[in-house]
Amino acid sequence: MKRIIFVTSTLTFLAMTGCQKKVTDEVVPNDRLSSELAFSSPQKIENAVLGAYNALQSANYLSGRALIYVDLMGEDIFDKGAFFGDLARFNMLSNNGLPATVWTAGYAAIATANRVEAGITANSSLLSAQKAKELLAECKFIRGISHFYLVNFFAQPYVFTADASHIGIPVITENFTANTPDANKPRAAVKDVYAQIISDLQAAITDLPVTYGTTYETRTRATKAAAAGLLSRVYLYQNDYPNARTTSLNIINGNYGTYALQAEPNGAFGPGKYQTSETVWSIPNNVNDNPNTNNALPQHYFPNGRGDLAISATFLNASTNPYFTADDKRRTAMLIEGTGANEGYIFTNKYPDVGTRSDWAPVIRYAEILLTYAEAAARVASGVDADAIIALNLVRDRAQVTAPSYTAADFADKQMLITAILGERRIELAFEGHRFWDIMRTKGNVANKYDNDGITILPVQNFGAEKSIMPIPQLEVDKSRGVLLQNNGY
Amino acid sequence: MRKLALAGIMLICSIAHVLAQSRTITGKVTDEKGVPVAAASVVIKSTNNGVVTDADGRFSLTVGASDKTLVISSLNFEPLELAIDSRTSYTIQLKESVSSLDEVVVVGYQQISKANVAGAVAKVSGAEVANRPVMSFDQALTGKAAGVQVNTSSGLVGDNVIIRVRGASSISSGSQPLIVVDGVPISQGNDGQLYNPVNTLADINPNDIESVEVLKDASAAAIYGSRASAGVLLITTKKGKAGAGTLTYDGYVGVNKASRQLKVLNGDQYNTVINKMRSNAGLTSIAAHGDYNGDGQADVVNTDWQKEVYRNGMTQNHQVAISGGAGKTTYYGSLGYNDFQNYIIVNRQKRISGRLNLTAKPTTWFETGIKMQYSQTTSYGLGSGTGGALSGVPFGPLTAYPNIPIHNEDGSYYTGAGGNSPLNNTPNPVAVQELNFDTRDSRRLIGSVYGEAQLIKGLKFKSQFNIDQLSGYTDQYWDPSVGDGSGLAGLGQTVSNEKRVWSWTNTLNYVAKFNDHDINALAGAEYTRNRGMFYYAFGVSINDLLFRLIDPANYASTGVQNGNTENNGLASYFGGVNYGYKNKYIASFNVRADAYSGFGRDNRWGYFPSGALAWRISQEDFMQSIAIIRELKLRASYGITGNSNIGDFPALATFAPTQYADLPSLNLNNPGNSSLKWERTGQLDVGFDLTLRKGLHISFDYYNKKTQDLILNNPVLATLGFPGNIITENIGRLKNEGVELSLNIPVFNKKDFTWDADFNIAWNKNKVLATNDNGDDIPGGNSLVRPGHNMSSYFLIRWAGVNPANGLPTFLDVNGVRKQYDHSLPAANRWTLVSDGSITTAISAADRVLDDKKTPYPKLFGGLAQHLRYKEFDMLVDLQYSLGAYVYNNTMQNLMVYTTNRNKSEYILNAWEKNGDATDVPRLFWGDNQSAQVSTRFLEKGDFLRIRNMQLGYSLPNTLTEKIKLSRIRVYVQVQNLWTFTSYKGIDPEANANGNVNIGLGIDSFRPYLPRTFTGGVNIQF
Repeated sequence: MKRIIFVTSTLTFLAMTGCQKKVTDEVVPNDRLSSELAFSSPQKIENAVLGAYNALQSANYLSGRALIYVDLMGEDIFDKGAFFGDLARFNMLSNNGLPATVWTAGYAAIATANRVEAGITANSSLLSAQKAKELLAECKFIRGISHFYLVNFFAQPYVFTADASHIGIPVITENFTANTPDANKPRAAVKDVYAQIISDLQAAITDLPVTYGTTYETRTRATKAAAAGLLSRVYLYQNDYPNARTTSLNIINGNYGTYALQAEPNGAFGPGKYQTSETVWSIPNNVNDNPNTNNALPQHYFPNGRGDLAISATFLNASTNPYFTADDKRRTAMLIEGTGANEGYIFTNKYPDVGTRSDWAPVIRYAEILLTYAEAAARVASGVDADAIIALNLVRDRAQVTAPSYTAADFADKQMLITAILGERRIELAFEGHRFWDIMRTKGNVANKYDNDGITILPVQNFGAEKSIMPIPQLEVDKSRGVLLQNNGY
Repeated sequence: MRKLALAGIMLICSIAHVLAQSRTITGKVTDEKGVPVAAASVVIKSTNNGVVTDADGRFSLTVGASDKTLVISSLNFEPLELAIDSRTSYTIQLKESVSSLDEVVVVGYQQISKANVAGAVAKVSGAEVANRPVMSFDQALTGKAAGVQVNTSSGLVGDNVIIRVRGASSISSGSQPLIVVDGVPISQGNDGQLYNPVNTLADINPNDIESVEVLKDASAAAIYGSRASAGVLLITTKKGKAGAGTLTYDGYVGVNKASRQLKVLNGDQYNTVINKMRSNAGLTSIAAHGDYNGDGQADVVNTDWQKEVYRNGMTQNHQVAISGGAGKTTYYGSLGYNDFQNYIIVNRQKRISGRLNLTAKPTTWFETGIKMQYSQTTSYGLGSGTGGALSGVPFGPLTAYPNIPIHNEDGSYYTGAGGNSPLNNTPNPVAVQELNFDTRDSRRLIGSVYGEAQLIKGLKFKSQFNIDQLSGYTDQYWDPSVGDGSGLAGLGQTVSNEKRVWSWTNTLNYVAKFNDHDINALAGAEYTRNRGMFYYAFGVSINDLLFRLIDPANYASTGVQNGNTENNGLASYFGGVNYGYKNKYIASFNVRADAYSGFGRDNRWGYFPSGALAWRISQEDFMQSIAIIRELKLRASYGITGNSNIGDFPALATFAPTQYADLPSLNLNNPGNSSLKWERTGQLDVGFDLTLRKGLHISFDYYNKKTQDLILNNPVLATLGFPGNIITENIGRLKNEGVELSLNIPVFNKKDFTWDADFNIAWNKNKVLATNDNGDDIPGGNSLVRPGHNMSSYFLIRWAGVNPANGLPTFLDVNGVRKQYDHSLPAANRWTLVSDGSITTAISAADRVLDDKKTPYPKLFGGLAQHLRYKEFDMLVDLQYSLGAYVYNNTMQNLMVYTTNRNKSEYILNAWEKNGDATDVPRLFWGDNQSAQVSTRFLEKGDFLRIRNMQLGYSLPNTLTEKIKLSRIRVYVQVQNLWTFTSYKGIDPEANANGNVNIGLGIDSFRPYLPRTFTGGVNIQF
């Protein structure tokens, strides 16, 4: 009896000791890596860099919603599905959820870029000097583009004040690993935000590769052309036309690789067409990784999807969109009529892949580069600029059936050419996240903008109106204890 | 039962007691202190001849020559047999029965006689939860124990049941109590994988429950250490008793319907209101009856979508149980079937469960046993999601256009827009329910085996191995023709998920009595491992609707994902002594050490001590003269408990694999915090238990709970870039203070008529003492956690009514200045001062004000259960009440907006029309998004009194049951959620849209109404 007790208790004790380990020390995650391991090999470092793109790919950011909001604040589409509430009416409240998701996604991308930048720097011995430089340049590109979208959503446009000294957004270039007050940065002046963006993009152009190992990566990761393309847009928003011209010309001249328009309008849209040389930089999606049912571009834009966003009469009618000729090929190539409950409404055909929601988000397309160049060249020139006309024709002619190419004779003066370029830009880049900001950078007003019903016309939104920009998410203002100032009017 | 039978028998006897050679004896029945015992029965053994004592304990009885023995019995006393001798007058003293004073209470890993319990423990008997038409037993605990707040979020099958023992003990960690079934800590909470919640407690058959004990104070709960700060619910299931076996059948059937329905506009009212809204804003009409049959004429359609989506649901329950014991073995087995068909079409829960509890004692020193339940539960959820989803219930039926038909002329579902209304994004509410589904099948095994050996006299070693295995299969489908499914051309999703919990408990328990010393000592070790995972598959764009398995052959695209849901472990060592001296003085001390895998290695161990003192003052000599008091115990305890409801690896900074479309990527998934440590709650409890001679029992407790090092999901600035803008930190302190009182009142106790009332009331005050170093506010929904204020106080813009002169909505700014809003003016001029009409700044988030007096937590709550019996009839009235809570009526807010043409609440008919109209509904004006913005306009008092359950039963008299060879048969009717008295205008004052949270409770946002269920049933014992 005593022996039995002794043996049993010894065995029990041993089993218990084993159990303690089993339920504590041996419990480790099998679906994630501890942070020490995250930068422990060249492959992991590269994956972490791709993680920063993945942050940009957020449904609330560059893979969908951010592009949509820029068009929705413009007059060319309307919120037929009443999905976006007061955003399109310039009537949001400060606790509106949409700006909060944009703000969070934008800063998440910036923070990820900073985090990966720190990780690369700390583990650079694992990489060749060249590779490290390239990867760091990708981080800079991501940080730059994210600041750029944020500053335009949450601050008045660069041209709002003469020296852009008006309030912008916090500029974040440090990596934070713990909850520190250092992250509670006040909003920098718009000019300072732009200075950071330009510095990041210029450095990126220097260090980025022209191509990657696969076309897929060349179209979806930052390249010299992508950084230059974005930088030319930044200059355009600053009304710095000489720089916009030089930067876009570098791409057109083939200094950053080969880019060209497809033969047909809409040739860079739809399954199978995402990786053509017309794509400078897109956010990719696939069936397993996309913004999903309530966020994806095709879901919102395509009539067989949610079909929330219909094309307005303002865009369709020549009276309010004078360069959109009746036989413009884009009327059939990029527009599609709704059926069933959507009968009578026109939608865009740019994002047709409702089934897998895999449409890529076309952030920088070669047509933009040509039009940016055309506009910048036209504005810089003293008279009617011939090179600007050539670039404009490249875009315009592929959509025209009967209209002949423009010649210098078609333009009485430089301003007429600029107007034609802007008119072409509105059509060619429609529904790709440009319209509202193109109006803003030229100090225009938003007129003939339709409410949800597609019938009621909303009041004209004048340039500089307080609610033309999003509110800083009230929650962030609250959390900052007064450091983040709210936008006027909210 | 025996008393009942006796009463019947005595009735018969009193008529016919003519006996020869009889004489009359008299007597007085008292207790040990000489206090008369009323209503005691005095019966001549082996006869039906007997009487009951009067209020003075006196009786008079005629006895015959052959009568030898009297049997005297009364509730709470040991039956006494007394030889009849030559005396004619007897003084009879009864001893208090063991069952009332020496009742054992399960406290943690040991059983202690109730008299020796020094902590605060509430006990709810199984009868209180059995045979109720509820979806899970936790719902039936509502109002049953003082200080235990049970809140059923909605009438949706499987929706969250929020249990708070003595208030919320945390801010962002869990506040659900630990639930232990027969020593098995079970997993609980929502196990819904897709769109419908699934309450895992619904897997347990309520009719198997013998008792539920709620360990409320630290001394009682501390033996569970780290998991006990929110209290512990110990569930003991039934077991057999030695003796003849019994066979019982319990069954009920019934119907249920929505206990409440909000009223929305009909088609005609809708057209008028929407068009008025438009015309007031100078816009064209958009609402009208359309032509649906194609005859060129507008068809007048008034669809009541609520009527179409709700029905009379069928509820039924059947259970057969056997119980008994032979020799050294006892057994209890049951087989149960429960079908709760909800009032919402398609919503239903079915459960089949079996239980077997066996104990055996093969030798004098060794006992072993097995307790096991297996159940299969099928939940038919709402096909298109719940609550506020566009196609959810009740959102759909409340907001869908009332002027469109359900079906087209050809019988297909109508999916178009209404009349000439151009917008409609609420899909046909009937179609989405009938075409879509979200069904879950779950299987669950909860069981334990134990062996217990007596090593030496009084010392027992027990080893128990426990498992709780839960696996579910969720099958969900959206039809391509309607709602969300149309955007995806059809969607199929399946999720298989598993939860596997095992634990192993070893205890040494020493129980001894030396003279006046009672010792009950315990030492033990316990190891628990929780593991959960899921396997998910989806298919988009279905080819043939009849094949619904996720198969690439039938869907344009498919995908799969595996993942973890739970991965943690706990190692624990504990010990304690419960010491009693002279049955008067009780002291107990417990300590537990826990190591939780989720903390960093250096901060893994937490130590949780507790101590308690109790004084059974009624046992003192000087109390013996106070006849009215039978039992009085004073209690005081203090202890520390912890909280490990914090997720799996909050301390560890981790990166997880992600995708940049085709390219594999890696992202931060948790910022981690290596210094994260245990959250600790120190709790002081002072109370007493008093039982009076007449049976009145009073329990009173005062408690003061302070939680420190709160583990908080600290909401941080987005500029930090942490996932979800959250980092887990030990910050903040929280205080809960309150009193609890429970009364068991034998209101009336006569032979034919008894009336008992159990009343309980609790008052709790919850205050946040500190948050993080900055003293930051922690927002949650429309509430806020701010240091120095009540937990989860509402933080809202203040509504100041409608200006009767112009119908404009008015609000107070932060300084109390009243401003009005006129949407018809240019943007810059819309806000004006009510006082002089001058243009002013807009009301904005800066004008929100924290209102300390208004929180979603009730100040007073409890229940009143009354049991009445008249002869063979019995009746139960169960009331639940709650006072002082506020509810944010988000449902109403959505039904009052002027910016969409979804259907509206009928309250909108009160809208201001002309100068002088006194109303709370502003002028109808299309596009005005300020009047229905989040403000105190929609904050309402949530006071209510609910008739939670009412039962009327009839038991067949024994004379009849004996004839049909049954030992008992009772038939009854009952109604659950009969009526709620409240001024609250929304769905339900207990509605909760945010699940199991501590901040942001009390948001009523489109959760289904509670069902009202009428049932009729029978209990038969063979």
